[in-house]
Amino acid sequence: MSAVIETNRLSKWYGNVLGLSDVTLQIEPGIIGLLGPNGAGKSTFLKLLTGQIKPSIGQVSFSGQKVRNNYALFSRIGFCPEQDSFYEEMTGWEFLTSLLKLQQFPEDEVRARADRALETVELTGDKKRLIRAYSRGMRQRLKFAQAIAHDPDILILDEPLSGMDPLGKRKLIRLIKDFKEGKTIIVSSHVLPEIEALTRNIILIHQGKIFAKGDIHYIRDLIESHPHMVSVKCADPRRLAAQVIPENYVLKVHFGPDPRTLLVETNNRDRFFGLLQSLLLKNRIEVEEITSPDDNLQAVFDYLVGK
Amino acid sequence: MIIFRLCSIISLVNRMRYYAKALGRVFGVFFSLGRKARRTKFFFLLSFLPVAVALVIKFNQVFSESHSLDGLYLFTNIIMLFYLQLIILILALFYGTSVCSEEVEGKTLPYLLTRPIPKSAVVLGKYAAYTVIVIGMISLGMVFSFAVLNISRLLDSSSYLTLLRYWGVLTLGIIAYTAFFTFFGSFLRRSIFFGLLFSFGWENVIQYFPGSTQRFAIIHYLKSFLPSSSSGRFSFLTFRLEPTPPGLALLALFLVTAGFLGLACLLFSLKDYVLDD
Repeated sequence: MSAVIETNRLSKWYGNVLGLSDVTLQIEPGIIGLLGPNGAGKSTFLKLLTGQIKPSIGQVSFSGQKVRNNYALFSRIGFCPEQDSFYEEMTGWEFLTSLLKLQQFPEDEVRARADRALETVELTGDKKRLIRAYSRGMRQRLKFAQAIAHDPDILILDEPLSGMDPLGKRKLIRLIKDFKEGKTIIVSSHVLPEIEALTRNIILIHQGKIFAKGDIHYIRDLIESHPHMVSVKCADPRRLAAQVIPENYVLKVHFGPDPRTLLVETNNRDRFFGLLQSLLLKNRIEVEEITSPDDNLQAVFDYLVGK
Repeated sequence: MIIFRLCSIISLVNRMRYYAKALGRVFGVFFSLGRKARRTKFFFLLSFLPVAVALVIKFNQVFSESHSLDGLYLFTNIIMLFYLQLIILILALFYGTSVCSEEVEGKTLPYLLTRPIPKSAVVLGKYAAYTVIVIGMISLGMVFSFAVLNISRLLDSSSYLTLLRYWGVLTLGIIAYTAFFTFFGSFLRRSIFFGLLFSFGWENVIQYFPGSTQRFAIIHYLKSFLPSSSSGRFSFLTFRLEPTPPGLALLALFLVTAGFLGLACLLFSLKDYVLDD
């Protein structure tokens, strides 16, 4: 399949701060997940793709055409920004029709498209309400509606699922998947399961650099080999420590600043939790709290880049 | 060769039509949004402050049965004191700076930058929409002030020439100041603060400087269209030195408007706006 989006040595600095470094990529049609911790450069990358900021070095092209200041190209692009920001004094209907007018559609088509987009995101009943009265989930869906209303070939969604409740997330994931036919969709997130629910193709980005690109299973394998830290706060952490140490998947055991906290590093989280459950029941140890302090993407990335 | 030229002319015409259409769309969207905005309601009330003053003066005249001051004279002084030196500056400042800065501060800029419209059309369309709104507000307030103070001579057509003249000056003022503040808003973060310094510092001081220094103030060119020797206690507000001839004043205002709008468009097209999280 031929690439729709191409970047060549794309780099961006904000003064002395590196936003993105030397990114050369080819993106084919389908859904692709852009995964990275906060501050990794995801938004910078997407802003460069959509021509909102100019690259310090390198270039972006969509189907061979440069993006920056090529306004005619934007009839083919839909963009959903990360920020929860709107023209708050507009209703949902006014917001969509206004942006569709800026897409240069005739009046009757503007109305038809706005109706269709609102129906798609299930906001028809709320279209006459002011946006400032919308819930977070409704606002996210409205942002998505403005990105798809003009039926773009390329859809770029910056953290579209952030701040949504699980049900809302599921609905939006379904909408994105329904929209994908023949399109190129880039979805950014710092939450792996969100991306997993959408696609198998992902790009890992970290500290402004593309770390890996490929199938999610490859990334999953990398992540599985990442030692996980589990913190157990209980009445008798020493006795528990003595019983978990012999297991070969327990790499390290130490005690936290609070004497009741045991920190265990394991390379097989599932087996460790099975063991922990049986030991707690067998020894009748009262547990106050079990947490995974490094169960986030930043920790995984730190591990992968060898920090 | 001829065919090539013809093609390039057709292409240019098509691009101009597309640009004009984009400009019209931006104007329509932001005229509608600006008209309903809460700040417009507030500034609408502010623009009616001189009407309230005119009403107080009129009531005072009626109840005290004193008619020593002519209605037209009072009207021109209200225009000078309230509209020309205060209200149009405030309105142009808030609406002009907001053309670019409200998109950055409100983080709505990505919605505009990812539409198939030239960036300069965004600036010019918004500028035109807000300028029309401000002109509308000022015109209403002005007409009401005139009507209140000149109720006895509403059938006298000659007094309407004065109204028209002052309306023209205020309109030119709004057009030039809004363009200037649009430029301010396109590159300064604290554009309101610097705009206030300019409006009530520079503009209010420079116009009274001797020599040609006063020509560095926009208000100098606006006052050039007004009678240079108005009688009465506020005459010092009009001129200390010779006014610029009307033709040159008009040219200067046109250059200020076109120059600053051009700069604002250029900056908006080239600058990377960083939206704070």
